[in-house]
Amino acid sequence: MCPVIQAKDVHKRYVLGRNNYVDALRGVSLEIEPGEMVAVMGPSGSGKSTLLHILGCLDSLTAGEVWLDGRRVDNLSGRELVRLRREELGFIFQTFNLIPSLNALENVALAAQYAGKSRGAARQVALETLAAVNLPNHHQHRPSELSGGQQQRVAIARALVNRPKVIFGDEPTGNLDSASSEEIVALMKTINKAMGTTFVLVTHDPEVAGACGRVIHLLDGKVSS
Amino acid sequence: MQVLRNVFRRKVRVLLTISGITIGVLALVVMGSMAERISVMVSGGTRFYADKVTVTAEGGASMFGNSLLSLKKREEIKAVPGVLEVSASVGTLLDPEAGMSFGMPPILLGDDMRGDPYESFRIEYAAGRPLRAGELGSVVVGSDLVTRLGAEVGKQVTIRGEQFTVVGILDKTLTAPDMAVYMNLADAQRLFAQDLPEMIRSFVDVEDLVTTFTVYPAPGVDPEELAQTINETVSGVTATGPSFFQEQIANATRILNAILYGVAIISLVVGGLSVINTMTMSVSERTREIGVRKAIGASDRQIVRQFLTEAGVIGLLGGISGLVLGVIAATLGDIALARSNVDLFLVTPRLAIGSVVFAVVLGLVSGLYPSLHAARMRPVNALRYE
Ligand SMILES: Nc1ncnc2c1ncn2[C@@H]1O[C@H](COP(=O)(O)OP(=O)(O)OP(=O)(O)O)[C@@H](O)[C@H]1O
Ligand SMILES: [Mg+2]
Repeated sequence: MCPVIQAKDVHKRYVLGRNNYVDALRGVSLEIEPGEMVAVMGPSGSGKSTLLHILGCLDSLTAGEVWLDGRRVDNLSGRELVRLRREELGFIFQTFNLIPSLNALENVALAAQYAGKSRGAARQVALETLAAVNLPNHHQHRPSELSGGQQQRVAIARALVNRPKVIFGDEPTGNLDSASSEEIVALMKTINKAMGTTFVLVTHDPEVAGACGRVIHLLDGKVSS
Repeated sequence: MQVLRNVFRRKVRVLLTISGITIGVLALVVMGSMAERISVMVSGGTRFYADKVTVTAEGGASMFGNSLLSLKKREEIKAVPGVLEVSASVGTLLDPEAGMSFGMPPILLGDDMRGDPYESFRIEYAAGRPLRAGELGSVVVGSDLVTRLGAEVGKQVTIRGEQFTVVGILDKTLTAPDMAVYMNLADAQRLFAQDLPEMIRSFVDVEDLVTTFTVYPAPGVDPEELAQTINETVSGVTATGPSFFQEQIANATRILNAILYGVAIISLVVGGLSVINTMTMSVSERTREIGVRKAIGASDRQIVRQFLTEAGVIGLLGGISGLVLGVIAATLGDIALARSNVDLFLVTPRLAIGSVVFAVVLGLVSGLYPSLHAARMRPVNALRYE
């Protein structure tokens, strides 16, 4: 079986000025199998977010290759990248990043609409997905009316609504108290087990890492173990 | 609905922007309704002068020229081939002491009424009846002068110090007759002569006085060509076809329209600039949101559409409120002016629809740059933005 994510000697250099640059990634290679739940750990500035953005097709790389599901993706056109983000990849964030003017249901439905579903169909699948993340009520609540844990559930539902192969999370529990954090980790674990969705989670939290099947350590832009 | 919620996320700012457009559209509606009223008047005016040739003393060609002609010229003109009938008239200012005024001054017109059977410009009577040929001491009053003269059918009015009986009052025509008092040629000749300087008066024969001949072409004769022929064959006169008056009027209105619409467009452009400003601020405040939208699958086009829709809605709201205020302003303006019998504003459907469409287009055009800017943001840069 081919890995769902494969990075081959990935480099990322941020050019800040003429002779001023940061090498955020310096030759990262890794493979993640379908259905894995992987934690990415490392000190601040080690390139975790950068790696996540590149694997998640949100950012370009300077050298190397990225393969998703047996297909090379680092050289794809903008349209192809949009399709990938819609159908195969999901994102959750430390600060949840729900759209403040939309309620919970609309936030989830938005991703389905972007993927081409009609209003009605998007609403339907959003309702189902909200139920799947144990948030059957609160549909009409705006993000500001929800607790952090509830917001992250909505965000997970939004990432999940198009049934992606991989969900990327950049410190998804970083803004949660330990109780909510545990709930969210448990939820992701359930989804991972039940639906086979691959999770790649950047985290500082040993509890989160402990729930993952594998931990990838980054140090100075390289995989250290 | 989601659009409205996004638009009104910053209530004060958006309301200010909408007011900017509102004021622009208000100006467009008010100015435009004046231009529309004028264009209605002009089409009435040009119809009034259509298919006739006007003959005045040589060099004195103007709409109400009062250089003097002799009635004897009538036969000469009538003899020109293609002339069906010639009517003689004396036209002068109703009030010779009147200074400059806005629009047409009131005029006094005495006519021998020979042209009446051939006149294509139909005049309806609000009250009373037409003047009869040779009926001395009687007048017909144009609708805009009714209040000013205190005219009532059967009652007397004072014109240049003399008493006349009102036999008819005209319906509104939106053109020259509204500001005219009609009487028989002999009455007008007398009033006209009274006002001539002593020196000249002793030389003229009152009954021979004419300021204008109106020539009615025979069927099938082109009035412009007939005017040409008269100029070539009759000495001492200038004949002008309908196009001269049409052009004179069209030129005057063209300039006026340019000024009216110019003022309105400038105020709208200012409104448009404030849309650019608002949308640019909105995009930069929502940089992170744009990044998130892209991360969850929005294409550039979907982002553009979202922000363009918001800009269009701002334009639409401004357009509608501007139109409503404009209609109210025009209506109140006309009510205020009703006492002086002036109709200044006319909000036509094309003006109403045009102003709202213009406001929406303005919103879209102004929103285009900020929207494209939003769509071009790289998702990761937008996400990292704090
Ligand atoms: N857009 C950028 N422009 C320039 N330098 C950047 C940019 N993004 C990240 N960097 C730099 O690249 C390096 C890696 O950053 P990255 O955000 O990937 O680290 P991280 O492991 O996620 O850190 P943290 O735990 O603090 O989130 C850092 O030195 C950072 O300053
Ligand atoms: Mg980071």
